[in-house]
Amino acid sequence: METKPQWFKVRYNPEAVEKVTQLMDELELNTVCNEASCPNMGECYSSGTATFMILGRICTRSCRFCDVTHGRPGPVNEKEPQQLAQAVKKMGLEYVVITSVDRDDLPDYGAGHFAEVIEEVRKQNPHTMIEVLTPDFQGDQLAIDKVIAAKPDVFNHNMESVRRISPKIRHRATYDCSLDVLEYVKKQDPSILTKTGIMLGLGETADEINELMDDLRAVDVDFLTIGQYSQPSAKHYPLHEYVPAETFAEYQRTGMAKKFKYVASSPLVRSSYRARAAVESVHTQ
Amino acid sequence: MKQTVTMPKINPKNDEVIFGIWTKNIGDSIAAGEVLFEVETDKVVSEVESNFNGVLVETLVKENDTVQTGEAIAIIDIL
Repeated sequence: METKPQWFKVRYNPEAVEKVTQLMDELELNTVCNEASCPNMGECYSSGTATFMILGRICTRSCRFCDVTHGRPGPVNEKEPQQLAQAVKKMGLEYVVITSVDRDDLPDYGAGHFAEVIEEVRKQNPHTMIEVLTPDFQGDQLAIDKVIAAKPDVFNHNMESVRRISPKIRHRATYDCSLDVLEYVKKQDPSILTKTGIMLGLGETADEINELMDDLRAVDVDFLTIGQYSQPSAKHYPLHEYVPAETFAEYQRTGMAKKFKYVASSPLVRSSYRARAAVESVHTQ
Repeated sequence: MKQTVTMPKINPKNDEVIFGIWTKNIGDSIAAGEVLFEVETDKVVSEVESNFNGVLVETLVKENDTVQTGEAIAIIDIL
């Protein structure tokens, strides 16, 4: 295990984690916090928030950076929209992030289920803002249309890394397909805020980050999150480096200069970490 | 009243963690929410908060020990 820098630490409140875990078990729901062993789980659960992971806990892809279990998924839980909407209500969430595993086994890659979840959450929680963090749906526009039609407030789809490194760490997903997804969503419904996230510490260069930011701005992506890659285990893609906090700050300034509406860039930032802050910043602009 | 502190499930994918350091000494008082110890998992170092108010009277594991979820790691005298 690589020695972690002193500053790469998080707080963990066992009681808060237990409480949220119990609620998820009761409602048969999964969180990506748990399934991907997110380092921020303690903080997010302590503040009563979590990122729901729908469509099961088994992913049809095996990306080399990701800790979510890969395999053959089971049937879709048809009660999930209802159960998730109830959890949002019980937790009193004013902002919810919903992500999923990849479901390449389903005819619409799970897009219809995403839409049902959005609609049910909104029905039961009309004032809750909804962010979805989706797979690429293999770039299938008919599938993406289903999610767009359900009108999430924020459509997030992660690029994960720069062009050169993408094929080394992603399985089936490509840099260009992900860019196309983000472009398509914005073109179909400009009122939806688009968002993406990347990891640093995989060996990328500053020039490559610049190129990525330009590619994102060319398709009018609104929000960008940048965080440090944490290697989940020895069998995952090797960590190249812990990037200094000053470099994250520099990328934050570069991103804002390139006119992203919001850039969250620091080592412990994850795609959904304090996600509400980005939307609030737009509303106060 | 004596309360046994057990290792919480820090890493959802692995019940084994490497114990880091105690941030309190034996005899120190501790409040719920204060950091009691650190553990390292593959992804991060976690500063684990105490669930209890009391005095740390005994520690049962030390730095670099491999500890299982649920294993007793300390005794706190509850106030």
